[in-house]
Parts: sequence; structure tokens; C-alpha cells
Amino acid sequence: MEPLTGMGVLALMGAAATIAGASEDLESDVGSQSNPNSQVQLAPQMMYPHRIYNKAISGEPPSNALICAIGGTVATVLMVTGAAAILALIVGSFVAMLVHGTYSVTPYIGRSASQKRFKQPIYLDIIRSHTPVIMGFAFITTFCILVISYLMISALGHPFPLPLLAFIWGIAIGAIGSSTGDVHYGAEREFQNFEFGSGLNAANSGNIVRKAESGIRNGIDNSWFCAKFGGPATGLAFGMVVFLSGWITVVFDPSISDTLGWEAIIAGVVIVLILIAFNRKIEVDARKRYGPYKVDDEEVGA
Amino acid sequence: MSAGGGGGGAHAAIPQNNLIAFGVVGGLVFIYAAYFLVQIAGPYMSFLGALGAICGIVWGASAVRRVANYGLGTGVPSIGMLAIGIGIIATIFGLAVGGIIGPILAVIFASLIGLVVGFLGNKVLNMGIPIMVQSTTEIAAAGAITIVGLSTSMAGTFMFFDEVVNGLTVPGVATTVMEPGYIAVIFIMGALAILHPYNANLGPDEKQDRTLACAFEKGGIAMIITGIVATVTPLASGTVTIVVGVVIWYVAFSEYYKRVKRDAYMISGAGLLPSKEELE
Repeated sequence: MEPLTGMGVLALMGAAATIAGASEDLESDVGSQSNPNSQVQLAPQMMYPHRIYNKAISGEPPSNALICAIGGTVATVLMVTGAAAILALIVGSFVAMLVHGTYSVTPYIGRSASQKRFKQPIYLDIIRSHTPVIMGFAFITTFCILVISYLMISALGHPFPLPLLAFIWGIAIGAIGSSTGDVHYGAEREFQNFEFGSGLNAANSGNIVRKAESGIRNGIDNSWFCAKFGGPATGLAFGMVVFLSGWITVVFDPSISDTLGWEAIIAGVVIVLILIAFNRKIEVDARKRYGPYKVDDEEVGA
Repeated sequence: MSAGGGGGGAHAAIPQNNLIAFGVVGGLVFIYAAYFLVQIAGPYMSFLGALGAICGIVWGASAVRRVANYGLGTGVPSIGMLAIGIGIIATIFGLAVGGIIGPILAVIFASLIGLVVGFLGNKVLNMGIPIMVQSTTEIAAAGAITIVGLSTSMAGTFMFFDEVVNGLTVPGVATTVMEPGYIAVIFIMGALAILHPYNANLGPDEKQDRTLACAFEKGGIAMIITGIVATVTPLASGTVTIVVGVVIWYVAFSEYYKRVKRDAYMISGAGLLPSKEELE
């Protein structure tokens, strides 16, 4: 393939990945999935009942792998019957979105019902308002992942079938959404009323922010907050993963010669080293600028 | 922290032994019925395989519930993934070498790996969960039944390799399920259907019948997707599978919601948080 075409495909994949990353993170924030979910689950037990959607689908990687694999499967079936790729990908994402809707509702009502003794009510308006948002984000995520997987197969000649590739990318985006995005929801939004950087004292476990700027806080308020930084940051992270991991083999194409294959590996190692150095610099700069967290005297004494 | 379960043996209205029988006998009977009836009556009988998978899913979900009630918490997804991973290895091995006894071989092989993994978890990693060995064995075997059932329903047969019958090539599971990558969706659908029910009902007031209703509901979803794939495989027919799957999903979801209404503290259309007085 022409290197220029390869770069164009790669750019498209990177753009789709950036959108997928952002929508994946916001989707998990609306439903309080993943790491911050443990505090949402714990809150009623500590006498803090809440109006936050409790969407526990066993962590982001498996739940995104599920929707992407279902989308990829339905799309493949449609393409086997002769449907156009774009139609197949859209219908596949639509079916995945419906499945994700049912997977989102069952934990919210199920987990709330299992907290009867802590008097956690089930709010039907929360289901009605949040589930469509979750499903919408899930559609965007699935569609973008399917676009990436389809481009890899049709344009870059990847040997894996679509459902398998979508499954793998689903796990990848879930893992990145979980590691990059959760920080901005869990530490910054759930425990907003504690001093930034103070860490989570065990006594404050479950004491999540339940009152909003106006009214009672819900999952959509949380995704509004995360859309300012957490979502885009996740999108950038996933976009970079897709772009950089594809870039090395498009520029140094291993299918042309073994030497180029080794150069691709060297380029990958160099990128990782540059990122490590960059991360280190950010961390050192932040520490210098904001200084160490100042502990109270009595805490030092204890 | 009891957020991860009751921290002891789970209370169960239906004894686990009945569910084991339901899973093993029901699962294998449906899988074999699917295999033979597809040959006798036609491809539309392939939906029976997915019913077998639902038996496995319900049994697996119940086993996850029992072991996870010891406070596994975030370990609930892990044990489900572990089990279905064992199940997929056992299925490929069993179907590839077993021929007509493939499904039985897959279940036996999965139980053996599950036994070893459970033993290692309890004795070497010192997890110290009393029913760990039995539960890992059960979940792995249930995972194998789920994968064999869904594969049979997709392919219309559980023969692993292509066969030549009366001069016609009959594609096996390897060609129709593994090669186009549908095995990925079987893996993740089966895993989530087994681990999600307990995970979705996690909490001290979890009830067995509610969790199992959720397992049926997730099984119904797996059946629908299986039916969609079966529409393009030559030996299986998708329409019946999809219709039966939708009916199972609808009935199971209604039953699940009925039990949620029964168990919930309060279901409100909109409203404020419970007041301080209410909480005391």
C-alpha cells in the first residue's frame, strides 16, 4: 500500500479512537462504572443514600469488550449477507447499544434492591434519564471501535476477523478509560468536599458528594464535570495508543523487509522512552510547582 | 467490608445440588437434542443448543453467587473470566478429540482444570474459601456447557472439524464459529452472563431467585445474538433461536423486575433522598 494512504487511514483511525475514548469515559461516568463504583456501592451502607446511577458491569474492559464484540459480530453477519460496510457497522453498533441498555438497567435496580436494609431507594426517573445517555455513548464508542477494526482489516490488511479485533480493541479502550478517566471522576468529583490531594481517609469512605450545584447530584452531573477534562484526556490517550502503535508499522512496514520490522520495534521502544521521560518531567514539574501535601500537626503526631 | 457480599455461606431457596443437576443434565440433553434433531428434523432445531447454554449459565451464575458471597467483591468478574477461560480451553480440546462424546469430554476436562485451579487458589494462594474448590470446578464446567451450547446453536453441530456426509461437506465448529471470530462474542457473552447476575445484585439483601432471574435474562440476550449469527451458517437456522431468545428475555426480565419490586426498599418515580429520621 502507498505509505501516504496508510498515513491517511491511520489518521482516520486516530480520530475515531479519540472520539471513542472520550465517549467511553463519559459513558462510564454517567453510570459510575469501574473504580469509583465501589464508593457509590458503599455509600448507602455508610448512611449516605444517593441518586447516582450504579452501573456495575464487571469493570470497563469486559463491558466494552462485550458491546464491541456484539457490534462486530452483527456487522460481520450483515456483511456476509452482502450489506454495505457502513450500514453493517451502524446496525451492529445499534444492537450492541440495546444490549448495553439492558446490562445497565439490571445492576442499577438489582444493586439498589440488594441494599434494602440501608434504605437505598430505586429512582425510576434516574433510569429514564440516564439509560438513554449511557446507550447513546455506548453507540458512539462501539461505532468508533468498529470503524477502527474495519479499517485495520480492509485497509491495513490485518489478518484477524472483525469480531475478534473489535473484542480486543474493546478490552483496550475499557482498560484505558478505566486507568485514565476514572481518576478525574473518582478522586476529583466524588470527594470534591475534601481538600485536594489529601487522599482518602478510611473514615471518609462512602462519604461521596451527593448534593449538586443545584438540587441532588446524579450521574449526568458527574459526566458534565468529567466532560471538561477527564473525557477528552481519555480520548487523547486512546487516540495516541491507536495512532502511535499503528504509526510504527505503517512507516516501517515489516511486510517489505525484516530490517524494516526491526526498525519498527526500535521506533516503538524510542516512543516509549520519550513518553517515560515526558511523564517524569510532568511529575517533577508538578511536584515543584504545587509542593508536597502539607500534613496537619496532629496527623504527624499520630 | 460487607459491600462485597454477606461474608458467609449464601442463603438459597433452591439447593445447589438441584442447580448442578439442572446445569449438567439439562445442558447436555439440550446440546445432544440440538445435534440429533438438526439432522433428523432440520436446521431450525438448532435453537435447542442455546437452551442448553442457558442451563449452563444459570448453574454458573448460581455457583458464582455461592463462592462470591464470601466477600470476593471485585473478584466476582475475575472468577467468571477465569472460569470461562478454562471452559474455552476445555471446549476446544473436548470437541477436537471427542467426536460424538465431545461435549461430555469438554465438561469433564473443564471440571478437572477447575479442580486444579480451585485447589491452587485455596491451598497455594491461601484464599481460604471453604467451597472454593467445588465452586471453581462448577463454574468451569458451566462455562464449558455454555460455550458448547452456544457454538452448537450457531453451527448446528458440535463436530469440530468439517465432515463429508453423502458427498457434501458439512462445516464444523472450527470453520463456522472459530474462524470468523464469533468465538470472541461467545466467550464474552458467556462470561458476562455467568458473572453479571451476582455482580448486578451485589449487596447484603441479595436473593437467590432474583439473581437467577437475571441469569435467565442474560441467557436470553446470548441466545438472541447466537440466533443472529445462526442466520448465516448453513446448518443452523436463526429465526427460531431469535424468537425464543426474545421470549425468554422478556419473561425473565419481567420476573426479574417483579422480584426487584418485591425486594426494594422503595421504588419512586422521582424524589428526594431519604431523610435523617427515615435512616435511623
